[in-house]
Amino acid sequence: MMEKTILKSSFPQWIKSLQSFKVFIPKRENFGWELSSNNQILEIASDYTYPVVPPKKLIFPQEEIFFEFEQNPDNGIELKEVLPEESPQVIFGVRPCDGRAVEAMDLVFGGSFEDLYYWRRRRQTTLVGLACHQPPSENCFCLSVEGSPYSEDGLDILLTDLGDRYFVKALTEKGEKLLSEAPSLFKEITPKDREEKERVHLEAQGKIKRHLNGARELPEKIKAIFDSNFWDEESSNCLRCGICTYLCPTCHCFDINDETKSLAPLRGRRIRTWDTCQFPDFTMHSSGHNPRPDRASRLRQRLAHKFLYFILLYDRFQCVGCGRCISLCPVGIDIIEVLTRARNHGK
Amino acid sequence: MKPETKLNQSNPFLPEPARIVRAYNLTQDVRFFQVRLVDMEKALSFRYRPGQFAMISVLGAGEAPFSISSTPSRPGLLEFCIRKVGTVTNALFRLRENSLIGLRGPYGNGFPIEAMEGKDVLIVVGGLGAAPLRSVLLYCLDNRDQFGRVIVLYGAKRPAEMIFREEYFDLKKRVDLECHLAVDADDTGTWTENIGVVTTLFPKVKDINPANTYALVCGPPVMYKFVIKELVKLNIPKHQILMTLERRMKCGVGKCGHCAIDYIYTCLDGPVFTYWDVLHMRELI
Repeated sequence: MMEKTILKSSFPQWIKSLQSFKVFIPKRENFGWELSSNNQILEIASDYTYPVVPPKKLIFPQEEIFFEFEQNPDNGIELKEVLPEESPQVIFGVRPCDGRAVEAMDLVFGGSFEDLYYWRRRRQTTLVGLACHQPPSENCFCLSVEGSPYSEDGLDILLTDLGDRYFVKALTEKGEKLLSEAPSLFKEITPKDREEKERVHLEAQGKIKRHLNGARELPEKIKAIFDSNFWDEESSNCLRCGICTYLCPTCHCFDINDETKSLAPLRGRRIRTWDTCQFPDFTMHSSGHNPRPDRASRLRQRLAHKFLYFILLYDRFQCVGCGRCISLCPVGIDIIEVLTRARNHGK
Repeated sequence: MKPETKLNQSNPFLPEPARIVRAYNLTQDVRFFQVRLVDMEKALSFRYRPGQFAMISVLGAGEAPFSISSTPSRPGLLEFCIRKVGTVTNALFRLRENSLIGLRGPYGNGFPIEAMEGKDVLIVVGGLGAAPLRSVLLYCLDNRDQFGRVIVLYGAKRPAEMIFREEYFDLKKRVDLECHLAVDADDTGTWTENIGVVTTLFPKVKDINPANTYALVCGPPVMYKFVIKELVKLNIPKHQILMTLERRMKCGVGKCGHCAIDYIYTCLDGPVFTYWDVLHMRELI
């Protein structure tokens, strides 16, 4: 672990020094912030909140080619494995919630079988976090799910904005390597830097408005009300658009399909794409039987996965409290409210 | 049983080329496929357990999971009974013998063969449930001395929909096996066996030693509740009532989330579950 500071005026030089990396920095778009590799941008804007699409898309892209296939003249079929390129990337402006989300996703794509495509990208990715001064969204509730505006989990570096400079904490070897690309830009920290950083962190914590109380009681509660009509009431507005899961930084479900470019000779590719448990056909058998046939069972699946099943598997929530699903839901389904009502159900 | 071997360990999403060596219809919409991995060495060394499944690819159409109907006691060829219902199966039905497909696996837990050794085996089949249970049935027959009584109860809608009908009529002639067949309705006028759902066959099963019996069940979702009731009546312990269940699956390796039920993944922890599991995990069937 290494702690330094860097002046904001030196920041562009640091970015420029990262020649061997593809660098992603938040960029303002008309729909919100986006992690962009447009290398014109050399600083993190002071009014940056968080990206609409979380950084998961740079490790687990919305569309990933597994392999290409082509029929050859003697009628055999050739498969060409398509693995992610060898191209180290650095992502700046990763909010602590999104860093924790990557850590949660590592658990899913690791385990008894390591997903080659995911880990190719993951190992080449350096996550440079940025502690939150202000909650990036009015719906932030990271404190309630064991996170914080300055959590280091999953990150390689954590930056804290101290006005004219950043407090830089390198958390991993990958992070230290990034500092070593331009060592002269980084200064030794003073006790004042540390003090100021602590103050910023504490203040940020106090600015979070929304809370989900008693989240650790939810696993038992969800089990208890599993079969109740609670879920029908809560899900009745759901449009099944799937935005809550597509833009969730921890949701990892995917589909695998073939895309055909030509039928004779056969030529195409197999791709993995994001999928969501909120779509009715997610669990539909080819026979027509659907074990999760309605909105109620699908909302329950989403919340139970995050606040019950994931805890049973990994002893942590599969929710980092970023609030995206709340802000983006077109019909106002609010995970904090739903879970709070769940906790109070039958009381 | 030898441990299973997985194809393409480093990147299981890559299917291994396989050839359809034989294909013929079992019923109007169920077709039997005999498949061999093109790589002879892999074909001979491919190990699986009865009850496991494989992902079959028809390039261009996609990929889907199918339970393996052959037995590991007859290595070399893999067999599948496939109903024409979706994109992949429609494409499969268009393929002729000698066509190439892709195969990856084997996946899932399979039946606990080691624990079943020395025990009586009661197999209860409904319709296409015969596909996965054929594997374990043939395994028991190939290793007949390792098991106690072997009893098969098989119900289908109509005689024409009973897959491997002739094979089962032949089995009825064996003295080391009890085989009882039923159809919901006989539209041929020539059906000599029971008429009624599969549970009507239970009275024919005499003198079960429940503690020493493993019951293996596979059929349409609606069937389980009625069959389990009969098995419980026979006092077969809950952890010895095994069901192989169906689930939509995409990856086969516990990542894609489609087959997630409760905190488990059907593709890793199933598709074989005990009645005990079913009682504790909702949405399983």
